[in-house]
Amino acid sequence: MHDIRKPALGPRFSCCANLNLRILHIEVTLGILRGRFNAGMSLDAAPDTVSSSPMPRRRGMTRRQALTAAVAAGVGVGAVRLLGTTMQTLSQPPPAAGSDWISPLESESARVMHLLRRATFGYTDVELESALSAGFNRTVDRLLETAPAEAPVFDASPTPGGRFPIAQLQQWWVNHMLGTPTPYAERMTLFWHGHFTSDYRKAADNTLMYWQNLTWRRMALTDLRSMLMQVTTDPAMLRYLDLAASTGQSPNENYSRELMELFTMGPGNYTEEDVRQGARALAGWQLPRPDSYATVTIDNANSVARRLPVYTTQAPGVFNNRRAYHGTVTFLGQAGSIDTQGVIDRILVQPATAQLIAAKVAQDFVNPQPDQVFVTRLADTFRRSDYDIKTLMRSVFTSQEFTAAASYRALLKSPTELMVHAAKALGATGLSRVIVAAGSGMGQSLFDPPDVSGWPSNAAWISTNTVVERVNFVTAALGQTKASLPSASAAVHRHLEGIVSPQTASLFNQAPDEAARWFIILASPEFQLK
Amino acid sequence: MNREIGINQLKRRDFLKAGLVFGAGASGLAAGYAAVPDAFARAVYAAKQGGVSNDNVLVMIQLAGGNDGLRTVVPLSDPALHDLRPVLSGPMVSQALPLTTDFGLNHNLGGIKRLWDKGKLAIVQGVGYDNPTFSHFESIRIWETGDPTRRQVDGWLGRTLAKAYDTNGHPLTGCACGATDVPGALRDLQATMTVIQDQKKFGFTGGSEVEAAVGALYKGTPGIYGALFDTALATASETIAVLRTSSAEYQPLADYSDKVKLVYSSQNQLAAALQLAAELIVTGTGVKLLHVTLGGFDTHYTELSRHDDLMGYLDSAVSAFYQDLAAHGKSDNVLIATWSEFGRRPLENASGGTDHGAAAPLLLIGDPVKGGLYGSAPSLISLDDTGNLKYSVDFRSVYQEILSGHLGADSGDILGATFADVPFLRAPVPAV
Repeated sequence: MHDIRKPALGPRFSCCANLNLRILHIEVTLGILRGRFNAGMSLDAAPDTVSSSPMPRRRGMTRRQALTAAVAAGVGVGAVRLLGTTMQTLSQPPPAAGSDWISPLESESARVMHLLRRATFGYTDVELESALSAGFNRTVDRLLETAPAEAPVFDASPTPGGRFPIAQLQQWWVNHMLGTPTPYAERMTLFWHGHFTSDYRKAADNTLMYWQNLTWRRMALTDLRSMLMQVTTDPAMLRYLDLAASTGQSPNENYSRELMELFTMGPGNYTEEDVRQGARALAGWQLPRPDSYATVTIDNANSVARRLPVYTTQAPGVFNNRRAYHGTVTFLGQAGSIDTQGVIDRILVQPATAQLIAAKVAQDFVNPQPDQVFVTRLADTFRRSDYDIKTLMRSVFTSQEFTAAASYRALLKSPTELMVHAAKALGATGLSRVIVAAGSGMGQSLFDPPDVSGWPSNAAWISTNTVVERVNFVTAALGQTKASLPSASAAVHRHLEGIVSPQTASLFNQAPDEAARWFIILASPEFQLK
Repeated sequence: MNREIGINQLKRRDFLKAGLVFGAGASGLAAGYAAVPDAFARAVYAAKQGGVSNDNVLVMIQLAGGNDGLRTVVPLSDPALHDLRPVLSGPMVSQALPLTTDFGLNHNLGGIKRLWDKGKLAIVQGVGYDNPTFSHFESIRIWETGDPTRRQVDGWLGRTLAKAYDTNGHPLTGCACGATDVPGALRDLQATMTVIQDQKKFGFTGGSEVEAAVGALYKGTPGIYGALFDTALATASETIAVLRTSSAEYQPLADYSDKVKLVYSSQNQLAAALQLAAELIVTGTGVKLLHVTLGGFDTHYTELSRHDDLMGYLDSAVSAFYQDLAAHGKSDNVLIATWSEFGRRPLENASGGTDHGAAAPLLLIGDPVKGGLYGSAPSLISLDDTGNLKYSVDFRSVYQEILSGHLGADSGDILGATFADVPFLRAPVPAV
């Protein structure tokens, strides 16, 4: 058993005190490596750090013992209860080449970490401790049943025309992700932001994007029927998909189409005629009246001034009957005088809606290629509950599929998940500026999805550009936090369950200082996964 | 919404057999990734015999959102236009730059008009496919995969890359400039390509030591994303090395201005992306298939100024790009082609915009082109039953001419069928 905090393999390297890893003149003893490391193995915990409960120095240590030792090393023996069942030993034969990570998910503590990585943005030490003592089931209850904490008031919101830099709003949200007592609500707010998309460019008033974020958070855990009404009448959405520009006399099809194609039913489940008829039925919505107007110089050089709206009180869109369609429409097989609620009700009668939402949730929270039987089971539950989001998410988190061995590290963290988890793992609260600046190169700027279908997921996050930028974020984050780093050795177990590839183990062991060890953890493939 | 690719199909056997970093010994680990060939990718390369041996380059420009063909190549003498577009037609006809008595270019395409005058612009009119979908994403996928039946997963250029090019040591053979993710047209599990958002920032901020450490860190990673990470990192490292040389050698010989008024959601900096493309071409990095994107064409609302601005932006970026290549003596084998998921509805809507349409013209630009109009412009009177323009040229006819006539690849193998000829190339390369 070797101490992961020390270069136990005997490599010689020259290093500097900062982050740079100089990997020079390494002598690798292949015999030791082959004996100890198999693909997807567990790093042994350092026995001498657990004085009250020394670990036996033998190779066949169980993973449960490793976890116990590691967590105890960080937070004190007895502070954390590990409720896991007996885990497989490390001395088992190596898995076949190319197989997946060895799943630790039979252990309750590993399941709790798995849950927090997927249902929230990772965790701080304190959040993990609290969830571990509650256990998996009670943590699921707690996540689902705690009402979302309101985000703090964003001071710049009454700026005329919403003309404050979008980075301010992005930073405001990231700060709330970092500090909120209800991180599950933030995770769901981001999920809905990527589903019911709008972007600040076309919304053309950042105050409206701020409002949308508040609305999405408040509705995140309610039910799809009421959500669809709020989405349809959301001022930023009215701009983004042109419903505010649509009239009964000359309907704009944009919202009608995307409402069915992307937000609810999916292509192939409605006709082009439904798009046209839906556009008629939905016409009539307008932006709310501004609280006041202000004349603002928008171009100092040329002295151009504009009268811009000032919004101080959040309000939804307003329905103007004079702009509405006054006739019968035939929409999704039903003829009559159908209003917006009628459109939504017709859409929710279609089984395809629950299927689409369930499949997306399954891909985002469980497995990149979810089994159709599983998706249908989720969809049926969702529909039977009258589209209750809590019911859907409870059935996701408590499903066998969620904690199946095949689901372990089967999902790729989005850039925001990666960065917020990194900050939480580091115990750093001042990284929101770095996080906001780094998002675009990795393919995710908040309030600015690439198109109306939102962000991609999983494998689509990876390209030559994004892998480099993920690493660069880690370099930048550690540049700001290296003065006060928590224990990297404990973090290997808290955030990676001690299950790392031979390369990660080796580089971690060779790392000359705590910053370099943290670099290996946060830049590792293991940390990109959830 | 389902944009997953079948990552489980990645073959890791070859990689794992030869690629374990520890198996490579001390020198491999010490030198980091750059010095250790990526065995996974190499196995793919090795399987590829023959292929394209010429130096021809293709630059695809995606006009994302659905470009209005009628405002790009304007029908000048069709009286039906005024009835369909009472608001949008007036200035677009009177200001158009005439190509023939019947057609003119958008008035903001002055630079591209000058290329027409030199015989370097081919316009294929009425391009589309059967039973068009009006969904952005379905239609984008159809254009990207070259498959209207929607069974194909890989992109048509990705398949070309995988089947016809030896990317060994040339990570930039396929490159998306100005993007962060792999464009669907270039996607193929067996293809190696690179994605560069901004070449000034492309690289590890921690320097070569971080690069070496990360290269070692990602070697032979287990799990379903392992090979994907591995290939991306290896390609990134090779790309960084290439860019280091190329940016030292390149001086732009044209004015790439991003000062042209940017339009909503054209956040992709087309001029910057094309300048990077020029750098890669001029400095002999081995680029063959390039992809850039200009967004913002989904003009449901106040199209008039928006679309004119987009045309102006396209024109200035493409003009500078051609001028730069020509000044470096590199324009003779570079073909520039635009594509968009669909055109727009001939009948304008009440928001001063147009909804999703069908057939539209494509622009093919450069020295390899035989200038002129190809295909036939769709009738504005005989519309299909959704009120849209009928196509006369299958978009795969254009792909076919690009693949076999310009790149010299086996188009039948890549597209899975043959299509009617659209002979817009001056001197097609001999058939494979």
